[in-house]
This record gives sequence, C-alpha cells and structure tokens, in this order.
Amino acid sequence: MESVLLRARGVANSRDITTYLQAGGWEGFKKALSMPPEAVTQEVIDSELRGRGGAGFPTGRKWSFVPKDHPGPKYLICNADESEPGTFKDREIIEYDPQMVLEGIAIASYAIGAHTAYIYIRGEFFRWAKILEEAIAQARAHGFLGKDILNTGYDLDVWVHRGAGAYICGEETALIESLEGKRGFPRLKPPFPAVVGVFGKPTVVNNVETLACLPHIMTRGARWFASIGRPRNTGPKLFCVSGHVNRPGVYELPLGVTFREIIFEHAGGIRNGRKLKAFFPGGSSAPVLTADEVDVVADFDSCAAAGTMLGSGAVIVMDDTVDMVEVGRNLAHFYAHESCGQCTPCREGSDWCLDILNRLVQGYGHPSDPDQLLRICRFASQGMTICPLGDAFSLPISSLVSKFRNEFAAAIARAKPIPPKKLPVMPWVGKDVRFGG
Amino acid sequence: MPKLTIDGREVEVPQGTNLIEAARLAGVEVPYFCYHPYLTVVGQCRICMVEIEGQPRLAIACATAAADGMVVKSATSQRVKEAREAVMEFLLANHPLDCPVCDQAGECLLQDHAMSEQGGNFASGMLETRRTFPGLERRLLGPHVIQNQNRCIHCSRCIRFTQEISETWALTYKNRGNNAYIDTFDGRPFDDPFSACAADVCPVGALTVREFRFRKRAWKLSSTPSVCPGCSIGCNIWIDHHERIVYRFTPRENPEINATWLCDYGRFLSESLNQQDVVHPKRRLKEGWQKLPWAEVFRALALDVKAAKTLRVVASGYMSNEELYLARELFARRLQGELVVPVFMGEPRKMKNGRRQWLYSQSALPNLEGAKRLGIRTVDEEGLARFLYGAADLTVVLDPQAHPFLATPEAVQLVKVSPTVVAARVDAPLLEAATWVLPAASLAANEGTWVSSTGKVQRFAVAVAPPGEARPLWQILALLARALGFADLAVTTPSQVFQWLVESEQSFAGLDWNTLLGAEQTSYRERQHVG
Repeated sequence: MESVLLRARGVANSRDITTYLQAGGWEGFKKALSMPPEAVTQEVIDSELRGRGGAGFPTGRKWSFVPKDHPGPKYLICNADESEPGTFKDREIIEYDPQMVLEGIAIASYAIGAHTAYIYIRGEFFRWAKILEEAIAQARAHGFLGKDILNTGYDLDVWVHRGAGAYICGEETALIESLEGKRGFPRLKPPFPAVVGVFGKPTVVNNVETLACLPHIMTRGARWFASIGRPRNTGPKLFCVSGHVNRPGVYELPLGVTFREIIFEHAGGIRNGRKLKAFFPGGSSAPVLTADEVDVVADFDSCAAAGTMLGSGAVIVMDDTVDMVEVGRNLAHFYAHESCGQCTPCREGSDWCLDILNRLVQGYGHPSDPDQLLRICRFASQGMTICPLGDAFSLPISSLVSKFRNEFAAAIARAKPIPPKKLPVMPWVGKDVRFGG
Repeated sequence: MPKLTIDGREVEVPQGTNLIEAARLAGVEVPYFCYHPYLTVVGQCRICMVEIEGQPRLAIACATAAADGMVVKSATSQRVKEAREAVMEFLLANHPLDCPVCDQAGECLLQDHAMSEQGGNFASGMLETRRTFPGLERRLLGPHVIQNQNRCIHCSRCIRFTQEISETWALTYKNRGNNAYIDTFDGRPFDDPFSACAADVCPVGALTVREFRFRKRAWKLSSTPSVCPGCSIGCNIWIDHHERIVYRFTPRENPEINATWLCDYGRFLSESLNQQDVVHPKRRLKEGWQKLPWAEVFRALALDVKAAKTLRVVASGYMSNEELYLARELFARRLQGELVVPVFMGEPRKMKNGRRQWLYSQSALPNLEGAKRLGIRTVDEEGLARFLYGAADLTVVLDPQAHPFLATPEAVQLVKVSPTVVAARVDAPLLEAATWVLPAASLAANEGTWVSSTGKVQRFAVAVAPPGEARPLWQILALLARALGFADLAVTTPSQVFQWLVESEQSFAGLDWNTLLGAEQTSYRERQHVG
C-alpha cells in the first residue's frame, strides 16, 4: 500500500512548508473551507474514521456531539501526549510531517467551529514541541493560520502546550484539567468534553494520527478512505512494533492485516530465530495475546472480538525468553506509578498488584497470589473507576495471570516462605512536647 | 419531579437530586465517604455504587441524577454488595486500623460503614506491609489541625473545602497514586479561618482538631442544639458535652446560615462556656463579701431596688430575647428605669451559607438584632459612657461582658458612685465596684432565642445544668420580679415569655417556640453524615 501518513519519511526537508505544499499540502483545508462545516463533518462520518488514540471512537460522531448553537467559544485539542508504553507513532508524524497535523487541526477546528486549538504535547517531547512551533510559524506566515484565513473570514490560532510528564494526562479529561493549569485528575463523565470541556466550553480532543488522516479524507474523499481496510475499520493505521523483533519501528498498514503479517512480514520476525511467546496488540493497556492468537486481524472490532483491543496500535512482541511474571511486575510498576491517586480501586489496586508481583519476582510467592491478582483486577475495572486507567492496568495483568497461569504457579512453587512482617509501630521518643502532650 | 424506585421503595424527589439524597428520602442509606452535600461531587471513593436497571455497569449514586422511572438497587443487589466489599477491601488495605487509639473512632464514616454494613466481618488477602507516610503520622498542619496521613482515604473533602468554601486553596495533594498525600499549598501553615472544618469534613481520623483531640471519646458526648455566641451571624451549632462539661462546638446544618461550617473563632469559644468564676450570690458588706442563699438575695435586693428612686440598667446583646423582654418589662416599664444595650463591632467575621454566599457579621453581639426589635435603646461606647456618667440611685449591669468599655477602670469608677448589682459569670473588673454579685449561667446552661443579623429567630436549648448556684438570667429576672411583687412576670420557663413576644411584638408574630430549634436531626450518627 502507498504511504499516506508517513509519505514524508525519507523526503529531504520534509518538515518545511514548501515541501508540504509541493506534495499537495493544505489543499484539503482549502477544500474544507469551501464547504459548510456540517458537510466536512459528514464527510468524516462517511469515511468511518475511528479515533487513533486508543478507544477507537468514530471521529465524526465525536464532532457531532458539539452543540451547534453554543454561543461561546469552542476548542479543539490535539492530543500529542503519547505516553502509552510501546507507542511512538505520533512522534513519527510530527517529526516528518508537522504541517499535516496542523492541516488536520485546521480542518477539525473549522468543522466544529473552533477558533482556538491547542496541541497538548508530552513534556518529554521537547524537540517535537519546537518542531510544531516552527511549523505553526510557517503556516501562519503562509496565511493558513491566523486571522481571516485565505480571505474566508475564518480565524484560527494554534498553541502548543507542553505537559508536565504524566501518563494520565493522555486521558482527555485529565488532559483538559492539565491544560487549564490544574492537577491532571480525570473528570467525572458525563458531562463529556464535547459539552463541557476546557474552560467549561465545548471541546473536541483528537489524537495526532486521527487529525493527520483528515487532509487526505478531504482531498481524496471519504469513499477513498473507506475503501482502505475493512468495513467500520477503515483507513491506514500506524503500527509501532517493538520488542523482540528483527526490525522494530513504525509501519503504516491498512487496518485489517493480521498480527502475523505485522510481526513476521513487516517487522522481520522474532530476533535470533526464537519463537514468539506473546504480544500486546495495542500498547501495554491491552490484554496480552499468545502466539496462538497471532492470526487475529489487527482492527478495532476483531481485536475486541478476541478479548483485547487495538488501542494505539503499539505491538509489543515478546519471545520465549520472557518471564511473564516479570512482565506483569513491569506493567504494574508503570501503572502504580502513573495512577493519579484520585479514586480508590485504581489507587489502591495498582499499588497492591505491584506489591504482590514484586514479592513473586523476589521469590516470596504465595499460593493465593494469582487469585488475589484476579480479584483486584476484577474490581478495579469495568466502571469501578472514574477513568479507564483502572481498566488499563487490570486488563493486561488479569490476562497475563489467566493466560500464563502455569508460569505464576511455577514462580510460586519455587518460592521461599514469606518472612514475618514487621509491624509499622511508631517509635516512642519520650514526652511529645510538640503538640502539647 | 422524577419518581423512582430504590430498593423497592417508591419516592418522588425534586429535579436534579442525586441518588444518595433520593435514597435518603426513600429511607435507604447509601454509604459514602467523599460525597458531601455542600461540596462538589468528585466520585472518588466509589463506595456509593448502585445498580440501575437497564445499565450494564454499576453507577456511583453521588454523580447520578434521579430520573423518572429509574429502578435502583442498593442493599438488595448482590453485585453492589460485592463491589462495596471490594472497595472497602481497597480502602482498608492501607488504612492503619488503629481505631482504639484513633480520636475519630465513634464518628468515623469508615468505621461506621465497616461495622454497620459488613458487621465487622472482613476477609482480606492482603499479605503485604502497609504503605505508611513516615513523618506524617502526627503533624501539626496549622494551629488547630493535626494530620495523620496514614489514615487518609484520599477523599479530597478537605481540599475541596479549602477551594470551594473557605476559598483559601490552602490544602492540596502532593505526589501521585498511592503515595499522594495531603499537604498545605507551598508548605505554609494551614491557618485558614475555617481550618477546623477541614477536620470536620474528614470522614476518618486523618485530620483531627488539636483542641479536642483525646479529650473525650466521641460516643460519650451528648449533643444539644444551640447557636454560636461568636458574632451576629448566628451559626447553628451542636454543643457537645459530657457530665456538665462542654467539650466542643460542632456545626449544625442550616443551609440559610452556615450550611455545615463554623469558623475557628466561634468553634473554640466552646471552652469558655466551662468557665464559671462567680458561683455564689453575694453582697458586699463593710467587713467583706457575704454569701447569701438565693431566697435571701431576692428579698434584700427587692428592698434595695424599691428604695432606689432612679434606676439605670445595662443589658447586653448576649441576652436572649426572653431575658431582654423581662428586663424591659421589669426595669423600664414597671420600675420606670433607664435601659440600654451597648453595641460594639468587634472583629469582623464571615460565613458561607448553603448557596455559597458570604454572610458578614454586623456586630460581635449575637442578639443585637433582638434588642433592636424589642425597641431597647442601643448605645455605642460614647453613649454608654455618657449613660454611666449620669446619676442614679442603683445601677444594674446584667452582663459585664456586654461592652469592652465596662472592663475599663473608667467604667469601674463610674459605677462605684452608686450601689451596683452585677450579674456575672466570669471575673470582671466591674465586680470590684459591685454591691451585689449574682452568678449567671453560661449559654450552655441557658435557654432562649436570639435573632441573627439575617433576621432569623433561632432557639438554643439547655445543654448542661448550671454549675454551683448559678442561674440563667431569665430565672434571676423572673424571681426578682416576683420579689418585687410583679407575680405576673414570674415565669417558670422562657417559652412563656416567648409566647408574650409572639403576641405583643410584630416581628415575632406567628413564630412557634417548638419549631425554632431547627434540630430535626437529633441522632449523632445522622449528623456525622453532613458534617
């Protein structure tokens, strides 16, 4: 398949706006400006584009939730807080083709009637924040951003906002809180951001890759976009393959290829000729799939049918040298560290999981541990928490426990007895004069 | 008005009511920790999970608005029961369970829930060592609040309180995940004027009030509805007492005045109610003080009062409407004396009501409005001095605390020139000049009504019996009236006087003594759910 989202990879001066214009850039936005906003939204609905950030929600429908008759400002946010372990696709797009992201932002802002757009970029992406700043300056100089764009009377300003380093700020309501200058705590939904978003105004949050698809949908049409992939799972998708493969990297493939193709054809198979053991199909938050399930089709619906999710399209491949208990510990460490601490099941559960898995890895397992892990995961997921982080840590860990129970059992079988606990007793330091006795 | 069914009970609730409040109206108790009726809903604790028919997932009752035809299951649902048990297991995983030495025990929502819904039966697979916060086990956050972070269940009520109610934004979370802890913003001392309310809203013993800590176990306290004597706003309080000692004030819910809040100044007046320096009625003779039984006092005092041709009386804005009415009737109308109430502003105070509007104090006196309504002449400091400069055969000071001027040497000199009757509770310079000293009871031992500066007539009830021979002022006035021969004024309860007020005063018309207490919630447990 021809390269769409990564077409600028390997092109000289690909970030420069003149290169982008030569490749037919900003034509999609010009076309969008000639249409009424509703028609743009309809075009995106027809293209059946689904959000590339992880949840796979239809983008056009998300836009249509924004109240049409809202008198005040509306906002568009480009979510570039790419922090899901194993995901590095947005960075790739920004690295080679920042103008495409900006054009997508412009089209989406026009469709929902926003005159201000924010790019919320991960704090660690300092270099890419600078790339975007330069791209915005160029687009503004060429009149694609700013006041009265191309004499149509449409105004749009784009600002780059750097995050402060929290995984949770990739969740759209936590991102909004963070953008408002607050602590990155997810909000209760409803109301959804499309109704009450940033600064209390209707807001649409779209992923970088989602927005990057829009210029192509506008220039080549919804029908072209929908012809790629499978029904309801259309368009090109970036897959970030990492782990024990020969050629890790970002691959642009149509939705609907199998994971076998991704891992063995495109990524060159498992390193050193070893065997595939398991892989995460969509970032670390997706339930793990075993080598037997490698023929699952890589699209949103097929992954859901296989009991997992496509997520951000980050395929983390593990060969047969990997200890799945250690994988669980690694994941639990990440999620316990990144849980925002707001609601009970996730805050306590993620840390508890980490404690259990740490103990298992250190050789102090207990026969009750696998069931305890499953119980924690069961009650930290499926609506027990405010945001999906509860699901994000509990689904992969519970899938690891249930699919590789034998490895957990082996770890427990070679375990030493748990050393007796030291109760945390506060030392008595004599008469406490500080607080009046 | 949506009509819904909760645990098989039908109930009709106002539009916009959440399921916790709707369930309460239906008589079903849904547990909660982070929800507070006067704070924004955050849905953090997840204990209020309920099952709604037709929805695949459990919903949190605090953030779900009641809708018409909703069928909600709380205690009757097995799924809800399992989910709540799991949330309790999560909460207790790192909670120290030091209830025997925790000062919140007895008024702890976590403990209440653990004991009432699960009967104290817990099975936890927790093999790990608890997470602790070394150094934060007993830390003075500010002048009044002590923190034990190990007990914190991260409900964020205290943070929301400082953001939404006291508006100082003093408290915040620091760190993340399971290591998140409560700290003051910028590490400054937590010297919010409402700081103890943060300990009030704390559902567990993570924040406790320094002044009350370890003085009395919560379940030993009895609570009496009363009104704060701190200023003219008239915040509703509970006087918590045990064996005739007042231990603390806690806010009593009143959406129109103080919602469920109380400022630190008012709250810590509680200790002052225990002070009773004057315990016996006594008369000054040449050879010194002579203690007399009350009966003797009234007989002798009546003679003195009758002998006086001119009489001047200083009443007080701390006196109840009933006492002011008796004083006006007896001294001003029957005995033709002069009666004044001194006015002073004191420190300005403020309070936020249930609609989140600030109320500001008009004066330091809780019943100045009542004195005005009764038509008693009010005087400022200058007027009071001028009043005392005038000659009289007998001066009666019903409250030496009525104005700071009464504590000055000047005032003492002014009263000294004539025989003086002083009704007092605590030592005051004016007692040096008194010929009669009558022990008056404190607010905790008194009963009556006050009018707040917002015009609300509010009643306070008797919490404790007066110490020693002290008597409430209305009783002293009534017995003096009888000794003077005005048997019709010799009431046996202030409610009789209140009835006269209702009949004779326009601004009291239509009020009913029995409904003025506004203390429909009398049980201790219920009260904790809003405070």
